[in-house]
Amino acid sequence: MITSRIHHAALSALLIAGLAACGNDDTGNATNPLLIAAKAAGGTVAQMRNEKAEPAAPKRTPEQMAAEALRVNPAPLVMVGFESLGRTQVMAMTGQNGAMRTFMAPSEEALILRDGMVVGTRGLGNDLSVAEPGTEALIRAGRPGSAKRVMRYYNGDGLERPLSFDCTVGPGPKAGVVVESCEGHGTSFQNNYMAQGGHLPVSRQWLGPKLGYVTIQTLRP
Amino acid sequence: MRAHSLLTRRLLASTVPVALLLGLGAQPAHTDPLIGNVLNSYGLPGGVDTPTAEMLPDGTLGGTVSYTDRARRHNVVFQLHPRLTTALRYSRVEGINDHNNLGHIWDRSFDLRFQFIDEQGWRPAVSVGLQDFLGTGVYSGEYIVATKTITPNIRASIGIGWGTLAGKPRTIDTEDNGGKPNVDEWFSGSAKPFGSITWQVNDKLSLVAEYSHDRYLARYLRPNGTIDDVRQGDDEPDSKFNFGAYYTFNPSYQVGLYTLGGDTFGAQFSFALNPRNAPFPSGLEKGPAPVRPRPAPSADPDGWSGAWSADPTAQPAIQTALGKALKDEGQILESMALSSNRAEVRIRNTRYIQQAEAVGRTARLMTRALPPSVETLVITSNSEGMATSSVVLRRSDVERLENTEASRIAEAAQLVDAEPRPDGLVTTPDLFPRFRWKLAPYLELGVFDPQDPLRYELGAELKASYEIMPGLILSGTVRQRALGTMKQRGPGIPGQRGEHYTPEEYVSNPDYEYFNGVPRVRSDTRMYTGSDSPTIPELTLAWYAQPTRAVYTRVTVGLLERAYGGVSGEVLWKPANSPLAFGAEVNRVRKRDFEDVFGFRDYEVTTGHVSAYYEFAEGFTAQLDVGKYLAGDKGATFTLTREFANGWRVGAYATKTDLSDEEFGEGSFDKGITISIPVSWATGTPSRDRAGTTLRSLSRDGGAKVHVNGRLYDKVRDAQSVKLYQGWGSFWR
Repeated sequence: MITSRIHHAALSALLIAGLAACGNDDTGNATNPLLIAAKAAGGTVAQMRNEKAEPAAPKRTPEQMAAEALRVNPAPLVMVGFESLGRTQVMAMTGQNGAMRTFMAPSEEALILRDGMVVGTRGLGNDLSVAEPGTEALIRAGRPGSAKRVMRYYNGDGLERPLSFDCTVGPGPKAGVVVESCEGHGTSFQNNYMAQGGHLPVSRQWLGPKLGYVTIQTLRP
Repeated sequence: MRAHSLLTRRLLASTVPVALLLGLGAQPAHTDPLIGNVLNSYGLPGGVDTPTAEMLPDGTLGGTVSYTDRARRHNVVFQLHPRLTTALRYSRVEGINDHNNLGHIWDRSFDLRFQFIDEQGWRPAVSVGLQDFLGTGVYSGEYIVATKTITPNIRASIGIGWGTLAGKPRTIDTEDNGGKPNVDEWFSGSAKPFGSITWQVNDKLSLVAEYSHDRYLARYLRPNGTIDDVRQGDDEPDSKFNFGAYYTFNPSYQVGLYTLGGDTFGAQFSFALNPRNAPFPSGLEKGPAPVRPRPAPSADPDGWSGAWSADPTAQPAIQTALGKALKDEGQILESMALSSNRAEVRIRNTRYIQQAEAVGRTARLMTRALPPSVETLVITSNSEGMATSSVVLRRSDVERLENTEASRIAEAAQLVDAEPRPDGLVTTPDLFPRFRWKLAPYLELGVFDPQDPLRYELGAELKASYEIMPGLILSGTVRQRALGTMKQRGPGIPGQRGEHYTPEEYVSNPDYEYFNGVPRVRSDTRMYTGSDSPTIPELTLAWYAQPTRAVYTRVTVGLLERAYGGVSGEVLWKPANSPLAFGAEVNRVRKRDFEDVFGFRDYEVTTGHVSAYYEFAEGFTAQLDVGKYLAGDKGATFTLTREFANGWRVGAYATKTDLSDEEFGEGSFDKGITISIPVSWATGTPSRDRAGTTLRSLSRDGGAKVHVNGRLYDKVRDAQSVKLYQGWGSFWR
């Protein structure tokens, strides 16, 4: 009697646990607060699983990826390496507004560039809302000098928050490379640009405290 | 809880949202409150038991479980304001016997701490605190404490305490119903000093030593007039010195081990969540489709001339294409009005917590779908068929300001009241009727019962809604319990504390449904639990309408909640740009049967309220309801809620009616706190789902309201000035 009751209870517990939410209603449901913890933990597990699963896929070299993208996609293309995410991918232009171009990966993560200068990112979880580099003219001209750089971020509380840095621009150790060194809020970073006739075809730029550096190479202007 | 880099701290720094919109940088020069690293056994920043002057980062919501053989304390702490810490505590105090005869009591208590002087130069931070101040309780006491940073790693605190903190517990009248502040006792009786030193060994480990006068005593006034001293635990602590070690293993979690007087040992676990500290601050939703600038007039003379608008097939084609693109963004294009130079879309946001993000994405899609002659873009937010606001944008501003600081487009945009039924509005075909359903597990928890501190029930829940047309919705919920410890039980038997009616007894005599002449409208709520057969918590037909600008109405008929069914009507006045709103609600309800899902009992009542709402700066919202409650009592409810742009919501309410404290019973008046956290905050994936709970003091009959779903205020506000601009930073997200 008692065991059958326990069996019954265990069985229903299994049934309930197996009952992942299903349905077509995606509009503002109330859930139990414990589910927040469970979901957050589940997300981490899924992330770990993805990280594990990734190496299993046949890894292509950046050269192979570039060659294939150039073959199948007629749009302007950039090769982007997110150093903190350990990921290199080709992104294609999906829109142009003046000099500002939006490049997207197939996963619909976006990088917004103004002729090679990072303006913003979208869909990466710790996005840069907008960068306002006062140094831009100096960098394009390859002229030494100093200026302010404001980086605005989407904050966890839903607000846009600015970080302001003092930057100096000068020639790098290698010919043709311009280095922008910035400092502020107890941190510092260096952006490197290859400036060619006002364009920035190759660069390594800092996106923010969480995303770190990104390397950008123009495949097709 | 302090282990952030300077840079991250800057990102977490609190800023008035309005200041953000007006172009930031110029923050008022003010020093920040002193932030604590260690939570004490009462769940507030402190030493081991004693308080310090420290605060938590603004908006922090945390919890602590602290365990010794004298007490087990469960604390919830919320930093309501940068200088005001609040805590709610549910403790098992050992060694004290009450009518339940368990050898311990379960005790609720509530604390406040206010830091009124900042640390600056030689001057320490100074706070004043009230511990267990609603009614006289085991932990009642008050303090003034100063905390000073000696070296970057060492902080010292010294203070004076009254009541429990001075080892002079306040006398608890066992006949008193409690629950009300005993102002005349505050800071009375003899005072004693206390102090603590905290050494932050490294980022993770903190060591604490303190001097405390708490003797772990409770003092009771018995009905026969004698005063008893009762020990919490076996005896007094051996010495007045307490020591603890606390290890923070990520900014959100901390474990601690401590000793009280060298003979009692304790362990504690605490966590602290901060709304600003989301795992994915910008969310993981995919990048938006970018703006498509218009071609030069010479490249598209037809499009620029507006001649296309004479073609009757133009609008249906554009509406279909735009509707499809919006659907991918979780937006339903309910209707659209289009002329040669103006386009208005009416959208229902089903995905983003911030309406500004929905509006920003819609604006960009409009630049991609509309012919070049359309210059005025109007984005009207619909909620249950009601048009709650219109954002008016110039298309050239959207093109010019794409991906710039969000405040620039905010300045260029206009927010106006939406016209309920404008000319030329074309409803998108085939959207309605709309059927939605969801099958999911549910978990229900019951706390605050001394004889059974944690009850639960687990089962499956089917929710479905059938929207006949926008604003006319049939919806229902069916639940089937699978397992759990929740049982059906009658309310307490008057005069026999700790004893309850069995369900059979309770229904056998109609007189039992009254207590002191007050109908049992909520105190028999557990008669509705524990059913093994399917239950229908809710089954309603709701009709939302908008008779004129800024006026909204709702009528709901059916099984409104688990315990009541009937009719509910509501009207709300809330202009899009007004922080002030007024509303009224009238309900005619009848008590539902305890078991028969469609049956009713005899009790029938009309309740109603007039309400005033005001949205203050920094996300504070106040609500005052005045009217008649379920038991026929008359009174008022005051609610204060703090809401963050990311959707976090923490609120507290109190209701006082014309029932006397005796008629009301334990707790004297109804009060509670509500917490609601958006699921997207934790997962990063965009969704309007929320998780939350209401912790109320006790299920009593005074000041009880009918719980009607879909109240207008929350339906209407998302797209209106305060909340829309609060979340405006996501416009270009």
